[in-house]
Amino acid sequence: MARNRKNQSAAVRFGPALKALLICLLIGGSGVGYVWQQNQLFDLGRQKAECEKRLNTLRAQNGQLARHLAELQSPRSLEARARELNLGLTMAQPTQIVRLTDAPVTPSIKPALTPDPAERQYARRQTFASPAR
Amino acid sequence: MIQPAQYRRLALSALFLTIAFAGLGYRLVDLHVVRHDDLSREASVRRESTIVHPSRRGDILDARGNALATSLFVKTVCADPTLIGTNQAVVARAIARLLRMNEAELAQKLQPRSYKDRTGKEHADKYVPLRRKVTPEEWERIQAAMKNVSFGVDEKKLPRRERAFYRNLRQRAIFTEPVDDPLRIYPGGTLAAHVLGFTAATEKIVEGTAVTELAGRDGIEATFNSVLNGAVGWRQTENDRGSHELVLFREEDVAPRPGLNVALTLDASVQDIVESELAKGMEKNAPLAISSVVMRPKTGAILAMATLPDFDPNQIGTKTPMANLRNRLITDTFEPGSTFKAVVVSAALNEQVVSLNDVFYCENGLFSFAGYTLHDAGHHFGNLSVEDIVAKSSNIGAAKIGMKLGESRLYKYIRDFGFGEPTGILLPGEVRGTVHPVKNWYKVSIAQIPMGQGLTATPLQMAMALGAVANHGRLMRPMLVDHLEDEHKQVVFRYQPQTVRQVISLESARLMVQAMKRVVLPGGTAPRAALEHYTVAGKTGTGQKAPYGSRKFFSSFIGFFPADDPEICIAVFLDEPDPQRYYGGETAGPVFKAIAERAAAYLGIRPDVQPPSEQPRTPSSNHVEGIAETGVSNTLTTAQTGRNF
Repeated sequence: MARNRKNQSAAVRFGPALKALLICLLIGGSGVGYVWQQNQLFDLGRQKAECEKRLNTLRAQNGQLARHLAELQSPRSLEARARELNLGLTMAQPTQIVRLTDAPVTPSIKPALTPDPAERQYARRQTFASPAR
Repeated sequence: MIQPAQYRRLALSALFLTIAFAGLGYRLVDLHVVRHDDLSREASVRRESTIVHPSRRGDILDARGNALATSLFVKTVCADPTLIGTNQAVVARAIARLLRMNEAELAQKLQPRSYKDRTGKEHADKYVPLRRKVTPEEWERIQAAMKNVSFGVDEKKLPRRERAFYRNLRQRAIFTEPVDDPLRIYPGGTLAAHVLGFTAATEKIVEGTAVTELAGRDGIEATFNSVLNGAVGWRQTENDRGSHELVLFREEDVAPRPGLNVALTLDASVQDIVESELAKGMEKNAPLAISSVVMRPKTGAILAMATLPDFDPNQIGTKTPMANLRNRLITDTFEPGSTFKAVVVSAALNEQVVSLNDVFYCENGLFSFAGYTLHDAGHHFGNLSVEDIVAKSSNIGAAKIGMKLGESRLYKYIRDFGFGEPTGILLPGEVRGTVHPVKNWYKVSIAQIPMGQGLTATPLQMAMALGAVANHGRLMRPMLVDHLEDEHKQVVFRYQPQTVRQVISLESARLMVQAMKRVVLPGGTAPRAALEHYTVAGKTGTGQKAPYGSRKFFSSFIGFFPADDPEICIAVFLDEPDPQRYYGGETAGPVFKAIAERAAAYLGIRPDVQPPSEQPRTPSSNHVEGIAETGVSNTLTTAQTGRNF
């Protein structure tokens, strides 16, 4: 047995070592990969939390601006501002409003003349012919 | 060869190890088995947390999409005095102005204090609320101020422990509560306060966390509370030692659902017009209260609804008088007075028991019936046509029309016009008024009710009833909400105009409108309600308040224009105006006119009358000018020609 073992080639002995190495690398790589992945997940989670915080801040700012806009658009605010700027704005009197009556629309393009019966017949033939194409 | 001494030492070591392992084993069993539940719970409390996301309450919008009520999240700023040391004065100086607080008062609040728990054990107080309703922008400024505050020492040169103290002081001594509070804001202040109502903060427990939620207490806020309030969201997650969230370990993450927006039929500009004119009317006539409603008779859509005195829903509190909170248009009932004659005459015309030209003898102002004497206030009318009875508002004439109509038919029409039942407006607190069944009527009731006495109605009921006359006899349900929409402005539900019933025929309504047009002409009871560019049909009312003879009145004017194809109906009510001048035509009429002129210009309602001075000099208009000289029939005749200018 000992002799036989001595006669075994180096390549044959190298095989299991390589396998062992590969397995070790695989396990080690998996471990490192797992840690790296967890680290990435942690980082992404932190970024996500920051983005969410930023989004909430922007939403709050948006709400503030919407409220401010509503205040500026309120009739009382507009009236006070117009008075403050002394713009001399007054409500239009009914007689100051010019109303335009909608006239019946006259087509700018003249309608086509009634087609000649022969032409119509020709057109019908063309229509019948088209599905065959 | 092992010596006995060695055996002893070995045995001793073995014993020691056995005891040690037994101790460890015991500790292990104690921690993992005996105290498992308690320790597990404690670990969860330290590691896990539930973050509650409050939902945003929906906005209330006007017909043009302007926000009448909106929501904002605000913070409650608190302090931990244990982290401040002896720097109260410095901190107070830095942030007192931002918190809008007195510096000395704030410094006092920042002083260390303690409290005793149930067992009597003393603890340092680490939670002192400083100010509520702090906006996110204000909070950012407070944070910046704390970051930049100088404590008069070079912190970099200090030992690590003191550096940590100052770091904690800057970052943690002033903090906010974890869950933001909602704040309701009404950008228009008192605008449409009675319609919008107000909210109150209530506390609700969500996933073990107390959350402040707004609950509507009156107006649209109360009626649509469940629609406006969304659903609270929450997130179950884990934190690290520094209380930073570990996003990786999030478990349940339920997003909040914001509430729906409620879009009203109300127009903020019309509402503002109404409120400003009511304020002038209030100043001029000194009533207890003045109210008005503006609506589109064809749909029942309410464009404005106001009552003075009012309140500011932004500053609702114990200082607001309860009387100011009432939307008197729906919560108060009155004997309507002469506006009710329109109901009686409409009924009589519809039953064809009278025509506009029928003449009634009005007893020269004194009519004895069933042991009572009826009066025509300040007038001694003889023969009056039905049209004149409406125009001049003869009590005796109306009583005789009522008697001719009969009790059962009068009662039927009173109910058909919507009296004695709520109008169905989507506001809380509406009352039904009092309409007694015929069996409970006194003998005089048949003469009294046509004058607007012996029954009570809300101002809104009166407005809707006359709106039915304007709307070709069709009674509409008041429509205050146009649609509900989500946060992305997508319409979720649209309300449609609702017809309650056809009360009188189209022809009867037309005849009634014809009679009501005379009210605003010279000789009628409300010439001061006439408009220059529109034909107005309306009816005045001056009801006496009980006890009769106390010189307390309820004055009103309800009118609509353009009379033959009404765009808007405006009702004005004054509760106890100045007893020197209390007639509806004198008090409510001018307010109606002021509102109508401005509202018509704003809404762009097409005039149906052209004043004589503005008429073009064409052969056809000469006729109109000629009529204008007669004065009385000017407006009416022009309108009757059916010409629209």
